[in-house]
Amino acid sequence: MTRTIKTGYHHPRMLRHAGSFNPVRIQSMHYQSGRHIRLELTPGRTLYDALVEPLYKIGVTSASTTILGGYFDHLEYCVAPPDSSGKAVIAYSSPIDAGEAFMVFGNATFGKDMEGRPLVHCHATLRTETGQVKGGHIVPQASVIGPTPLSVLVTAIEGFELRQAFDEETNIPLLKPHRES
Amino acid sequence: MTADNPTRQAPSQVVTTETGRMGRVAYARIAPNEDLVQGIEKMCLAEGFENAFVRGGLGSLVDACLGTLDGGYQQVTGPAVEVVSMAGEVRSTESGTPVASLAGIVADTDGNVYGGPFLAGWNPVCMTFEVTLEEWLPDNPDTA
Repeated sequence: MTRTIKTGYHHPRMLRHAGSFNPVRIQSMHYQSGRHIRLELTPGRTLYDALVEPLYKIGVTSASTTILGGYFDHLEYCVAPPDSSGKAVIAYSSPIDAGEAFMVFGNATFGKDMEGRPLVHCHATLRTETGQVKGGHIVPQASVIGPTPLSVLVTAIEGFELRQAFDEETNIPLLKPHRES
Repeated sequence: MTADNPTRQAPSQVVTTETGRMGRVAYARIAPNEDLVQGIEKMCLAEGFENAFVRGGLGSLVDACLGTLDGGYQQVTGPAVEVVSMAGEVRSTESGTPVASLAGIVADTDGNVYGGPFLAGWNPVCMTFEVTLEEWLPDNPDTA
């Protein structure tokens, strides 16, 4: 639902989460100088494999990436409605099939999951096979790069790593910066 | 800025360029109920960044508030409203206060998309927001 309002103040609403409040609201880390990489995503590979394999080969295990526009042979995405189970405030929907789609622009964070495996968290705007422009959480393992390589600007993270850990406040696993293990 | 419409810039009298270089890179996770725009400004305070560009940003908002051309705003109702594209920068005022200017595209719970500038104070994070900033170091900081 959306509404357009000419003027006036409204009080932005907050949400009460399932777990205990963490007084640290911004968890940040920095390093001295950015290392940038231009990556081409290989046609026919999944978004996950096309991002992870070449970056691991050059020793990059945590990064922030900008995915420039390009075609996918197949693309799936999720939206984030309220969680009917009550375990968390929201939960991802089942994957939505966008078919043969064009990714207009995307951002993906690259880190490690709770088992230490590579994790890609990607949000993007896309045009579906039926011509609708949509947006959401991309399913990287189910989305296959189309016939033309997609360009990606990678900002590699060095000196610390992005690792998924269970977040007590929201009651779900989330990516956060950690000192390298 | 125009007096009655803070989302629109008045035409600039002078075209300026600013040379400089990129500096440090910072990554942050912004927690629920923190405002997206002010969260990025606080991140700059925490990391000591005066000026920065957004290198990446994704996450979810409770509801989104995007500025409109007439000075009003468009409210996209969640939760969650996902930020699916974002660009922006942070510039510090003469007194050193960081001010973030962010624009982007959001998706509602049906995947429908909306775009515009994020209004400071009106875009509370839902679950998490991941942001990467790259510091901008002007060659002549006095003109920044």
